[in-house]
Amino acid sequence: MTDSQGLPRRGRAAEPGQDIDLAVLLASVARGDQRAFEEVYDRIAGPVLGMVRGVVRDLAQSEEVMQEVLLELWRTASRFEAGRGSALSWVMTMAHRRAVDRVRSEQRAAEREMRAASAQVDYDDVTEAVEATLDRERVRHCLRSLTDLQRESVTLAYYGSYTYSEVAGLLGVALGTVKTRMRDGLIRLRDCLGVER
Amino acid sequence: MRRGQTELHTLAGAYALDAVSDADRARFEQHLAQCEACVQEIRGLREATARLGAAAAVRPRAGLKEQALRAAAQTRQLPPVTPRTPQVRRGLAASPAVTAASRLWQRPSLPRLATALAAVSLAVAVTMGALAMGAQRHLGRDQAQAHRIAAVLTAPDTIMLTARVTTGGTATVLESRLRHSLVFTAAGLRRLPAAKRYELWLMGPGGTRPAGMLPQSRAGMVGPMIVSGVAAGDRVGLTVEPTGGSGRPTAAPVVMLGPGS
Repeated sequence: MTDSQGLPRRGRAAEPGQDIDLAVLLASVARGDQRAFEEVYDRIAGPVLGMVRGVVRDLAQSEEVMQEVLLELWRTASRFEAGRGSALSWVMTMAHRRAVDRVRSEQRAAEREMRAASAQVDYDDVTEAVEATLDRERVRHCLRSLTDLQRESVTLAYYGSYTYSEVAGLLGVALGTVKTRMRDGLIRLRDCLGVER
Repeated sequence: MRRGQTELHTLAGAYALDAVSDADRARFEQHLAQCEACVQEIRGLREATARLGAAAAVRPRAGLKEQALRAAAQTRQLPPVTPRTPQVRRGLAASPAVTAASRLWQRPSLPRLATALAAVSLAVAVTMGALAMGAQRHLGRDQAQAHRIAAVLTAPDTIMLTARVTTGGTATVLESRLRHSLVFTAAGLRRLPAAKRYELWLMGPGGTRPAGMLPQSRAGMVGPMIVSGVAAGDRVGLTVEPTGGSGRPTAAPVVMLGPGS
């Protein structure tokens, strides 16, 4: 199957079957299986660290957050419910929330101002061994399919850890507009990525 | 004027991006508790944000992994959430109580699905473990099977049945009518002599059809076996047959499972 751009449609995980593997591994982790945890680490630490670094910026702090997330995963694996979304989404949601909490609670407003200029993550900047090249291309392609305002709203919120009212202030648009753009932008991203719902 | 539901609903994007204040979050989560459509939407949006995040993957430096494993080894894990409803209906579908209950099975509650997953996942994990240990040539097939199993586990109409096997052990079936499929697992089955194997059957109005030979048990678990082509009214039976399998059962079933019609 192809979309209008001729790129292959992808499943909800980076590779078909990978997310199921991850869900199965989590079930083993929930029973205290340390080898399964090791495998979960191998699969998820890279995506978590990459995302957290996009949000937190400081590498040492990002590593700290990543380690906290992995430990939280170990602790709460029994709470993962396969019927409620993919395992990747569960992990990344938890990780993003932590990264955002870290930025909001530990960095002062002044520092956040400084980061405003560089809030849009530059994927080209992240040159270390990339695990999911194809998926990155896909995401980059899908981000381009958003309108400028949608893309800015989404990335400022996701990687800049700004609230929607802060984003509205930064972009100089009305609150309602930003909320709508965030939602529309994510819906378009979701449909472009072909994630299952 | 109070902000209405529609306006609250537009917060979905900001919420999925964690771009809300604590007060907004609380307000939206209250709304989520009453809005199944919103829960579905958030789920989809979070799949998108997860991919957005994962696409920035980098390789963590060496040494962090050992730290994480050490920390995990010293950290106590949370138990699963205790189910609110009875998870498992024991016994045969022929019993009137169970048949009556089967009419009530509509959407499984999420905790029940979680329990279902837990029941099957050990066997899946064993399968995947063997896979990881180098059964590379089976990779495609096993992944396809994992896919089909997940499709049953996550179907909106999945039901779960367990029953004692008369010769020892327990059999569990997860069935989705929607997917015309079921997943069969068993634990603690009596060991059979070398010339015998357990064989699975679908038995229903459409007749009795062979549904596959059970693989050898691993770590006391058998399966999961995925069975497709399940029709309304089908029940699952297990018999002991010669190693090569039989075209039709040659012995009385040691267990029968099914929601009836």
